[in-house]
Amino acid sequence: MIIPVRCFTCGKLIGDKWEEFARRVKTGEEAGRVLDSLEIKRYCCRRMLLAHVEITDEILRFYEEAEKRKEARNYYY
Amino acid sequence: MEIEVLEKVDMNMRLLIRGADVPFINALRRTVITEVPCMAIDEVVIIENSSVLQDETIAHRLGLIPLKTDLDGYNLPEECPCKSEFGCNLCRVSLTLDVESKEGTRTVYSGEFISENPDIVPVSDKIPIVKLAKEQKLKLEAYARLGKGKKHAKWQPVSMCTYKFLPQIRIDSKRCDACGKCVEVCSRKVLVKAGDRIEIRDLMPCTLCQDCVDVCPQNPPAVDVSWDENTFILNLESAGALPPERIMSEAVKILDKQLKEFVRQIKVKKSEKS
Repeated sequence: MIIPVRCFTCGKLIGDKWEEFARRVKTGEEAGRVLDSLEIKRYCCRRMLLAHVEITDEILRFYEEAEKRKEARNYYY
Repeated sequence: MEIEVLEKVDMNMRLLIRGADVPFINALRRTVITEVPCMAIDEVVIIENSSVLQDETIAHRLGLIPLKTDLDGYNLPEECPCKSEFGCNLCRVSLTLDVESKEGTRTVYSGEFISENPDIVPVSDKIPIVKLAKEQKLKLEAYARLGKGKKHAKWQPVSMCTYKFLPQIRIDSKRCDACGKCVEVCSRKVLVKAGDRIEIRDLMPCTLCQDCVDVCPQNPPAVDVSWDENTFILNLESAGALPPERIMSEAVKILDKQLKEFVRQIKVKKSEKS
């Protein structure tokens, strides 16, 4: 769903690093180097960010589409 | 016992402890993990939640957010003089969150919490709590309390607390022909080739894996990896609630208190017998 607040295994805070990680990887940076620069050393915490899929965004698309339809309906009537 | 600080970088601390033994260091480690209190959200009253996450999921996420802890200003709920199940302002902090997405999709961050006590706030302002689509609302009140790691992992003040023996590497310069195989095989890059000799670059990262001993073509091997059983490298990484040095001093205090209580109990038992 949404990025977990802490690493499942060790409990290190990783939630606040996700957005920077995702942004930098999207711009073409190598994921391993981004993790190194964020000072995520252990492989338990590294996999949290590496293997994460933000499904909330996919779910929220339904709400965004519904919102668009509502606006379109208001436009015609 | 001698203690030397090897490294202290914001939330990390590495200590070199000489003249201790395994039972003591392990007791200290376990005290750090299970007995040092820190603050975490324990109870959540959800007033309105129309987000895509369920109430329980949000409450769980809130609980895991590390909060900056003031150990001197607050009591553990079970030791608080108020004796109330609900808590008083000496053992409980209330944090409120009231957000609504007015324009498009947006993320709610931990920084949007309004705390009763400005010192007890989330460690980071950028932890995503939930994402809200337009017109979705989240309104809640959360109560943070002190707690111990033995009850729930959210009250652990550390994300890592480990120790290892101090490695001792000896290279027999008479038998070593500086083939360099041990330098190549070492994943921690402990050894380095200096001309026709093998030297130790940095001893601390050594994991005592013995790969360098196994790979040495000499028989018996020219490299010998052993460890000092009375010297430890203690590695501590705080989760952010308390500074690492405070966690350590608090653990020592708690361990001392528990041992004193143990001695007192033994004395009571003895006097009962006689």
